[in-house]
Parts: sequence; structure tokens; C-alpha cells
Amino acid sequence: MTTAEIIEGGLQTTVQDYPGRRGMLSKGFFPAGPMDHLAHRAANLLVGNPESAATLEITLGNFRMRFDDEATLAVCGAEAPLTIGDEDAGLWESHRVAPGAEVSIGIAPVRGFRLYLAVSGGFDVPELFGSRATYTMGALGGYEGRPLQQGDRVPVGQANGDAAGRRFGKDAIPAHTREWEVRAMRGPQSAPDFFTEADMGTLFGRDWSVDRNSNRTGIRLESHKFEWARSSGGIAGGHPSNILDNSYPVGAINVNGDLPVILGPDGPTAGGFVVAATVIHADFWKIGQFRPVGDTVRFREVSIDEAIEAERELSATLTESTLESI
Amino acid sequence: MSTTVSAIIDRRESKDGTPSITYRYAGDRGVLVEYGEMAFDLTLNFFMLGVEAALSENRPEGVVETAPGFRSILVMYDPNVLAVSDLVDHLRGVHDSLQDEHAMTIPSRVVHMPIAFDDSTSRDAVERYIRTIRKDAPNAEGGTNIDYIVRYNGFSDREELYGAVLASQQWSAFMGFFPGLPFMFPLDPRETIFVPKYNPTRTWTAEGAVGVGGPCIAIYPVESAGGYQLFGRTIPIYDIRQRNSVFRESPLFMRPGDRIQFHRVEEDELLQAFEDVRADRYRYRIEDSPFDVGAFLDWLPTIADEAEERRVRREAAAAATPVP
Repeated sequence: MTTAEIIEGGLQTTVQDYPGRRGMLSKGFFPAGPMDHLAHRAANLLVGNPESAATLEITLGNFRMRFDDEATLAVCGAEAPLTIGDEDAGLWESHRVAPGAEVSIGIAPVRGFRLYLAVSGGFDVPELFGSRATYTMGALGGYEGRPLQQGDRVPVGQANGDAAGRRFGKDAIPAHTREWEVRAMRGPQSAPDFFTEADMGTLFGRDWSVDRNSNRTGIRLESHKFEWARSSGGIAGGHPSNILDNSYPVGAINVNGDLPVILGPDGPTAGGFVVAATVIHADFWKIGQFRPVGDTVRFREVSIDEAIEAERELSATLTESTLESI
Repeated sequence: MSTTVSAIIDRRESKDGTPSITYRYAGDRGVLVEYGEMAFDLTLNFFMLGVEAALSENRPEGVVETAPGFRSILVMYDPNVLAVSDLVDHLRGVHDSLQDEHAMTIPSRVVHMPIAFDDSTSRDAVERYIRTIRKDAPNAEGGTNIDYIVRYNGFSDREELYGAVLASQQWSAFMGFFPGLPFMFPLDPRETIFVPKYNPTRTWTAEGAVGVGGPCIAIYPVESAGGYQLFGRTIPIYDIRQRNSVFRESPLFMRPGDRIQFHRVEEDELLQAFEDVRADRYRYRIEDSPFDVGAFLDWLPTIADEAEERRVRREAAAAATPVP
């Protein structure tokens, strides 16, 4: 079997597939999978893989690897310098890589936080509970349940024909920013029964700073004294953010006391805090690109119909028709 | 600017002895179905278990998975396959077809677990919290959460709190948070302990830590963030490496429907047990013992007066205690 050797693993590089590990919520496993599903899916599309195929999620950059055999790869996501052998190479493009040539990703200097490296044939680590995704909180899946380190040899699957020399259409490449706008639907615990309408106006009406304690389990924002519709959580606890424990959806804007946290793909499946609103799937990819410290997010309220339409628009960009020959 | 939509999709009031049902949006791929009102009422949990069982037999195409809560079920679905209105219609049908929970017998085990109260890792978690997250939290005064739990519930001292934890079996109502965490509630309502959760949450908790939030007691299966007030530590309940034979069938030891009985040990004994679990020398004590819901519901009224007295005392103490 052909493999890829890790020369430098960087801050945190994990194997991720899409949509991750389903059917395990009731046992306490969030699905894991790429934090930016858009960049993951685009990278797979470029190298001729199904969008489910396993890629490497590289946090911030500072990553180096080489392939035993000739390979076709694409890197999508945060704006970071990519070199293959001695040549500079573009993101959002598919490239042929000679056997043994070093693939190197520098640090993303300004915008975006995660990059996705797809290889034609996908990274062929074993499936666990139906997925190859690394779930950091359970120390399982991916490559031995952990981030990649120097010297690891990651198996590579059988390549899918010749997919080198293509690029993702310029108009379809998502814009990265330091001031994000993310669409969300109110609920499950919203106004008028848990928050006041004024609280919902605050949630959707201001910029929230991204806290340094953010990772794949969640994006912590900043504390805010909401008005709250209830004076207390009663039996569930004296703070009005407290409820009798229930399950959470991925992308939940979970208010822990006074602190809103967006639950990430490795986050808690359940707990006893209200969820004021939920990030829609079409915009969930953005939270994977938030830079802890410095980035801000503003939420924009949408209805379920708008959320479904947004997903349709996003999926339409993730098709062969978006690709151009270089 | 889009029009504001309610988070509540639909609601049915309580009828014929069945609880009210509220359907809420949980994003564009989830619906949270809630039973009854926000009350610590185990019959709501039994009702939920009945729905879960019925739904697993009769699941429409497009439902990806379901995840219970104490008195709710989160239904995740694919909106490209199943419209939310059709999903809610289907759930209404399932609710209407349910039998009386009084007649239920739930597969159950009595599981005996050691607990060391006021252990060093719980104190460490609180100290880290004070140092890195919040200095002035009333629930962390003195570098422990225990005195806050004691005060909030009107116990005379720590021993009275420990006595309450040991005096009742804890009902594992559902699982979630991180792999294999049981959300447990006292089967004897006289022994209820309740407390607010952290504000904001901790970023570190030890594996095996035992804490309480609202009326719920939980065992942390892995090192993780957390929001419950910590009062002790027990042995592992999750091991993906399956180092103890108890994990051979599944890396998750606890199940919904388990009744957990804690037994007090000193911390050095607990740490030895931790090591013995890893080395496959420790044997978990488990008894199969189906749970007769009807007998339980018949027993509750016999202790209702005493439970009510304790509730009044608890709530008076809570009202006089600051909230984090």
C-alpha cells in the first residue's frame, strides 16, 4: 500500500471525512468531520474524490509531508503559502506531485485558520463506527485517534484517474475575512420563553469576539449579561441559562451562564444549558476558519426556508461545473 | 431583513394523562421534541423512553438519528429527503400510538461504583478554573465546589451531602455530552440535590470526576470541559483501548436504564482501583435487575410528604444563596 509520510505535523493535523460519524449522538459522540466542510468538499472535488473521502485538516499551517508514489492533491481553505518540491503552488487547484517531493504549507498569516489537503484516492485509514474522522475528545478514528506527528505514515487509497491541472472557479472560492457573518436560526430555546426579544436582538445585532479557548469542540465567544425571560432555571439550576439536560445540535449557540459558545464537530452532544440559536449547515464551514483572538462574528437570523435555499446554493458550487482547466 | 419566526414549530397540550408536547427548531437539520414542562419528573423520562422505542421501530426515511434528553428527543434529519412538516406529522402519529408507561418494564442493571469525595483532581479542576477562567465565582470559594453545594441545598455539613449521594440509586436517564457519560437522577426524590451550573464553564475536568448540575449527577468519561459542580471521583466508564474486560463488548460501560449505587472509598483506594481497571485486575460489580416502572410509580406517593419537606428546605436555602 502506498503511504504519505508526515515530516512536520504542525499545530494540529487530523484525518477527517464528511459528514463524519453519524448515529452515535445518543452515546455521546458528536460527528467529528471537517470543521470547514466547504473547503474539505472542494478539495475532494478537485482531485476527483467523492466529498465523503478523508482529507487532512491542517490547523494554521506549518505542515510538511511527502508521498511514496506519484499523487494528485489539492489544498483548500485558509490563505497560506503552498510549495510542492521547489515550486510555489496555488490553493484551490489540483496538482500532480512527483514521488518523494516535499509538500509544504506555511503559516496562514492573516485570514482563515484551517486548510484541507485532499489526495486522489483519499487517505485510507480504517473506518471506526462507520467513519474515518478523528474525534479528538474520544481519542478515536483517523490515525490512531490522534493528531499526526513527524514520522507517521498515512495510507493513501487508489487514485481516481487523472484529476491534476484543475482549479475551483474564482467566483466560487469563499471569501475569508476577520469579521464574519454567519446565518443562524433561532431555537430551540429562544424568545419569548427563555430569552427576551431584546436579548435576541443583541444576539443577532452585535459583533462577538472569538476567545482564545476555542478549538474543535467549540468556539467560545465573550460573556454578556442577557436580560433573560426567566429569573431562574428553577430545579435545573438557579441561573436562567440552566435547563434540564437535553441533546444539542452541531452548530448550537449554547449559552453557558453568560457565555455563548458555538458547538463544533467534536463538541458535547448534550448538557444543561439553553441553545439560543443554531448555525445553519450552509454557513457552519465558516466557524472552522475563525482565528481565535482577533476575529469577530455577527449572526444573521434566517428562516428554515432560507437555510435550505442557502444549502442548495452552496451545494451547487460544489459540482464539476465549477471547475476550470488551468 | 427576514421576518422573525418562532422557535416553536408546534405544541400539543397535555391530555388523557400524557404530557404536553412541544416541537422546536434545532437548526435546519434538527427538531427538538420536549415532553411536559421543566420539572424533575421521572415519568417524563419514562415517557421519552417509550417514544424512543416506538420511533426506532417506525422511523421515516430522512431521519438520520435521534438523541434523547431527560424529557426530550432531538431528531436529526435530512431536509432534502424529509420536510420538517412531514417529520412533525410522523412524530405526532408515534406519540398517539404509545402505551401507558405504567405498564413498562425497562431492562436495567444495578451497577456498584466506588466514589472518593473531595478528591484532589476535583480540587485541581476548581483551582485551575479560579486561575484561568473566573476568580470570583461563588461556587468556587475556597477552591472547592462542595461547600457551595452544601449551602445551596441547606445541608448542615459535607457529610449530609455525601449521605444523600449514597442513600439513593441514581437512574441513568440518557447518555451524551462526551462518550458514554450517564445523566443520572436520584430514584428517591428525598435525596435530590440541586445546584446551578458553572458560569462560564470550566475548560478542564479529570476523567472519572463526579459532579452535579440541576438535579442531575454525572460521571465525566474523559478529560474535558464541564459545567457541573464537582464533589468526587469514581473509576473509568469509557475506554476506547478496552483495557478492562468490562469494555470488551463496548468501550462504553454505562447504559440508559442503569441504576448506579455509589460506595464511599478513600482517594488512595480509588487511585489503586483506577490502576487495577487499566491492568484488567478490577472487576466491576453489576447485577441484572429489570426496572418495574409501575411498582416505582406506586411507591412514590408513600414518601411524597417527606420529599416535599426536603424540597421546601432545599428551595429556601437556594433562595438565600448567590448564583454564579
